[in-house]
Amino acid sequence: MAEWNAFYKNEDDEEDQEEGEQSGGDYKITGRDSLVFLVDASKEMFIKGEDGQPSNFDMTMQVVRSVYTSKIISSHRDLVALVFYGTEQSKNPRNSFKHVYVYHDLDEPGAKRVQDVDALRGGKGAELAAKTMGSGETSLGDALWCCANLYGDIKLRLSQKRLMIFTCRDEPHGGDSVKDRQARTKASDLKETGVRIDLMHLMKPGGFNVASFFRDIVSPPEDESELGLQLEPCDKLEDLQKRVRAKEQRKRAMARLNLCLGEGINVAVGIYTTAVTARKPAPVRLYRETNEPVRSKTRTFHTQTGSLLLPSEIKKAQVYSKKQIVMEKDEVDAIKKFDDPGMFLLGFKPMEKLKRHHHIRPAVFLYPEEDEVKGSACLFSALLTKCSERNVFALCRCIARRNYPPRFVALVPQKEEVDEGKVQITPPGFNVIYLPFADDIRTLDPPNCPVASQIQVDKMKEIVSKLRFKYRSDAFENPVIQQHYRNLEALALDMMAPEDMEDLIMPKVDEIDARLGPLVEEFKDLVYPFNYNPDSKPPAKRKTAGTGGGAEKKPKVEMPEDELRAHMQNGTLGKLTVPVLKEACKQFGVRTTGTKKQELIDALTERLGS
Amino acid sequence: MAGAKSALVLCMDVGFSMSNSAPGEEPPFELAKKVIQKFVQRQVFAETKDELALVLFGTDSTKNPLAKDDQYQNITVHRHLMVPDFELLDEIENQIHPESQQADWLDALVVCMDLLQTATKEKKCDRLNIVFLTDLNTEASSEQLDVIINNLKKAGITLQFFLPFPAGDDVEGGGDAEGRDPGQPGTGKGLSKEQKSGLDMVKHIMLSLDEEDGLEEIYSFSKAIEQLCMFKRIERRPMAWPCQLTIGSCLPIRIVGYKAVTEEKLKKTWTTVDAQTNQKDDVKRETVYCLDDDNETEVQKDDTIQGFRYGSDIVPFSKVDQDQMKYKHDGKCFAVLGFSKQSMVRRHQFMGTQVIKIFSAKDDEHAGVALSALIRALDELNMVAIVRYAYDRRSNPQVGAAFPCIKQDYECLMYVQLPFMEDLRHFAFPSLANNKKFTPSDPQLAAVDSLIDSMMLVEGDDQKDMFKVHHIPNPAFQRHFQCLHHRAVNPGTPLPPMEPWLKAALERPDVISERCQAPLEEIKRKFPLTEVEKKKALKTSAQIFGKEKQLKKMVHTAAKIIGHGIPSVASIYATRTSHKAQKVPDDPSHPASSEEPDAKKAKGDEEEDEYNLADIAEGSVTSVGSVDPARDFRTLIRKKSLPFGEVCQQLTRRIEQLLSNKNTHYYMKSITCIQAFREQSIKLGDASLYNGYLQSLKRSIPNRGLEVFWDLLLQGMISFYIQGCGISLKSHLP
Repeated sequence: MAEWNAFYKNEDDEEDQEEGEQSGGDYKITGRDSLVFLVDASKEMFIKGEDGQPSNFDMTMQVVRSVYTSKIISSHRDLVALVFYGTEQSKNPRNSFKHVYVYHDLDEPGAKRVQDVDALRGGKGAELAAKTMGSGETSLGDALWCCANLYGDIKLRLSQKRLMIFTCRDEPHGGDSVKDRQARTKASDLKETGVRIDLMHLMKPGGFNVASFFRDIVSPPEDESELGLQLEPCDKLEDLQKRVRAKEQRKRAMARLNLCLGEGINVAVGIYTTAVTARKPAPVRLYRETNEPVRSKTRTFHTQTGSLLLPSEIKKAQVYSKKQIVMEKDEVDAIKKFDDPGMFLLGFKPMEKLKRHHHIRPAVFLYPEEDEVKGSACLFSALLTKCSERNVFALCRCIARRNYPPRFVALVPQKEEVDEGKVQITPPGFNVIYLPFADDIRTLDPPNCPVASQIQVDKMKEIVSKLRFKYRSDAFENPVIQQHYRNLEALALDMMAPEDMEDLIMPKVDEIDARLGPLVEEFKDLVYPFNYNPDSKPPAKRKTAGTGGGAEKKPKVEMPEDELRAHMQNGTLGKLTVPVLKEACKQFGVRTTGTKKQELIDALTERLGS
Repeated sequence: MAGAKSALVLCMDVGFSMSNSAPGEEPPFELAKKVIQKFVQRQVFAETKDELALVLFGTDSTKNPLAKDDQYQNITVHRHLMVPDFELLDEIENQIHPESQQADWLDALVVCMDLLQTATKEKKCDRLNIVFLTDLNTEASSEQLDVIINNLKKAGITLQFFLPFPAGDDVEGGGDAEGRDPGQPGTGKGLSKEQKSGLDMVKHIMLSLDEEDGLEEIYSFSKAIEQLCMFKRIERRPMAWPCQLTIGSCLPIRIVGYKAVTEEKLKKTWTTVDAQTNQKDDVKRETVYCLDDDNETEVQKDDTIQGFRYGSDIVPFSKVDQDQMKYKHDGKCFAVLGFSKQSMVRRHQFMGTQVIKIFSAKDDEHAGVALSALIRALDELNMVAIVRYAYDRRSNPQVGAAFPCIKQDYECLMYVQLPFMEDLRHFAFPSLANNKKFTPSDPQLAAVDSLIDSMMLVEGDDQKDMFKVHHIPNPAFQRHFQCLHHRAVNPGTPLPPMEPWLKAALERPDVISERCQAPLEEIKRKFPLTEVEKKKALKTSAQIFGKEKQLKKMVHTAAKIIGHGIPSVASIYATRTSHKAQKVPDDPSHPASSEEPDAKKAKGDEEEDEYNLADIAEGSVTSVGSVDPARDFRTLIRKKSLPFGEVCQQLTRRIEQLLSNKNTHYYMKSITCIQAFREQSIKLGDASLYNGYLQSLKRSIPNRGLEVFWDLLLQGMISFYIQGCGISLKSHLP
């Protein structure tokens, strides 16, 4: 059967692996993540904040929208639902619950849903909400029950179930103890089936008292630190977004390994990728007639007999200096194997030995896995404390996965940091920095550069100071991806044109010029001679910005036929440059398949020689 | 145009003194041969265009263009200047033996020079080199030494000597400290008279060619082997990337960038060849597209268009439209967005796979000054430039940081890519400090402290790095070439084990491993670590059934039987299951019914004919029921009261129903159904429904979390799809 599987490598399988590939690991997909937004739709939610602040409801909808769109980009297979409670109208499967309005049931988010949520935003959104749902009685118990049914109706395997309650009322039932009890019971039922309930409590006059009712509703915090309940209610969109995001993104270990300090001392750790280059997703092939997705199958067969080849009928080869070296497929894998996956501690080095330019791929994050080896967290924590106290990093040899060759990594301690609102900014653990081997470092001959005088440096310092800003890693959106999704959105929703997008990594030239003012000229006077033109120095250096594309075509390089023939006869075609040869090929209507010089020469010789 | 190419002559002494050695020591001949082997090996795998010739002296025969009368005797040009290949390696391995003559090594040198000069007249070579391997144990006439040196100088030929002993001054002083490897039989001390005078001559030549570093080109064999052990690291010439650094609209600085650090990959990839013929052309890979229907209807690639997922939607989006609408930019760019504190850019946020060093443009002094001002300003302020970087018009723009970097002999900016918002995942992890369970005690912390003390990889007051990772060649490449070489030279033999030096290079330095023993023991005592017993993903049916041995056995037998496709016995199991199924309430969702079947009941081993049972029930069967769907299915097919397609549909509906209960009992029942489906399909010679259903079932496995069931099914059935049957099932067959 193994063979059968090997041959049907379908695209679906590959798709699952795309995540985390770059960092050398893929996640084992064990099911889908799901998230239910349970939003209070009572009148209180619609009260506008002071000086034009959006209402709590409005804020919530913005957050829901951003989660929808980010799910579409990063994990479109996750399931999301949006449910309102405390509504006048009811809408739920089987309509068995009053005052619960299932706006979206659990499903993958799509363009339509984003539009739906958009409709609920702002003043118009509040109107629409009042019209379609209204505000009425509240029974959180019913709402939770309804959500439980949503989970129950899902046929797929769910790996994570989360429910977030957005409300600004700390006593939703106004002291009705029966309803309170009902809600608690339902909440504990839900928790029992593996649903995590989080509270996103919003600002209300007089403060939000978590203890009175919701303490028993929400799931206990993961780390027993009771951080979750000490949080102040959110009154800013940004805070709410941050909190939702922190909860919503599921941590998945790229690999679970042992960090071996020595014989028999193994600390179980998980490797997490905290930053992965987001790419445009791969296209899906669709059948032209029906627009339904098609699946692709790749198979290997024998050219002569046409029969499909089993893995045992295939070998791997490389050619060196005309000699073919053949190996079995598993030998090829075996060559790469040095040891079983794991990390092995070699020693410690002071932080300053970690060179900034020793960078070959994004770092990953290390956190103990107490579930695998009991006691891991304690030893890990001790290592972390001591390493950061002494400002050293741990040097390890790391084999991340089976049949991966080893790499050296630096484990750099990172202490936990929280912001004023006690939301974690950086988690505690080690950052794993991949270090280069000798092969990865290229030898450059640095040119001899003159050194600037202190006056020149000081002038530049003024310029630098004028353009200071606070760098934040999440400040820049990727314009390529944003444009791509905007295009898709426009097509999916039949919009006339894609939404405008601001390219955040474009320098704000006018602003910079304005801020610098005369400094630029002063600096230029100090370093550049009169008449210095950085553009004209090399022959026709084209300016990068400015005049539209396409203009920078290379000047035509044609060569008279007789000259070419002379070259050919003398065997000096090789002296011509590739562009000239290409042009000559065009000139004589020679179709060239290659772009290599020799290929061009061969093609030309053949043509002209005949 | 053709780049730098060099020509090199390996000149090896094979004369009789080369095979002399002290007991227990390898003779110089063997060592010299190893040096040559390793060297050629490296050249072959590096696929350089450098050409190489091999000259032997001290040979019994004479074969060289200068040989005349009794001049230049016992010198053989073994191979003329050409690109080294495996043939040469083979020759070195098998054709070069110690011989019994001696030849004047200076004569050999002249032969080499002549060879280089005549051979490179036609070819363009920018480096000419002669590598000399000898023990200098022959009398050499020094009369023409100066003429030779002059000629070497004139032709621009460089020389390298490899000797069995180090050429350091201590040798001359009879200092035997290092000079133990010359191994002169009988003499016991130092070098022979010939060797001494020979060495003087060598030194004279080398110093005349290069006054300063001449002596550095004299190596000892053992040292050379050590260095040559490593395959040449992959070197790539850095490509210059000229651009302009811009600050605002009117402050451009001409710069040039070079990739300084990037993960190097092997140049060659594996190709797939046919196992019998070893021919690449005999194997073809093809990708076909098919619709997601039961028949997996194939469609032509031309009949497909491209689309993208937007959440649950798939948006058709042709390549043309995509190109039209995609993000476009002005191309090559290195524009400052602003400046920020260096501390704001954290090391672990570095993205991308490379570091680019930015220098000022060549031959532009003014740009140099301007860039220097920027570098120094940033350095003094501890700031960093945040820039927009685009390699060219086709590549995606990035945001990154340009750090100032001031070295002793140069200064530059160092560019590293930074993350986009979309790249980041904000994971919150439980606090370690706030959790009392995980807080280490003071003695525990002290133990870690002393571990760190004992394992510091720096030494001395200047904190010298003892373990420079970036000086170690990538072991994966070393191993790769070792295996390739082995297979090329010894085809048909298993791959060699890893070379010990390679393994050792990846280990803790010995000092450290010794020093950390005690602290590690202490850690072991202070930190109890216990592996948690895990319930691994169950793989085999045996494991699934765990302790229920009886059942386990039964399933195994059943699986085996099903696999062999003997339906009558397989169905015994089916019948047996059905007995139990009758006992449990029909509602499969009832949790009480999902207990594992009683082992005792399954024990009765007498054979029952399913048809007996079937006969009894036959009369009443009108559709595929839930109690024993497999039996009902068979009965209905036999009675032909319903069309085949209809019955199959009923059966598959039952299977689906059964599978909605994640319980091994229901899994087994489903398997008997599938078995029955298969067997009846074969009987009727109509496999399309069966194959189609299995295809779709397989596809739905991951979504429904039915992997365990699938594993069970796979184990039970060896041939999965029905083949043959006069129906073309080509698209289903592997």
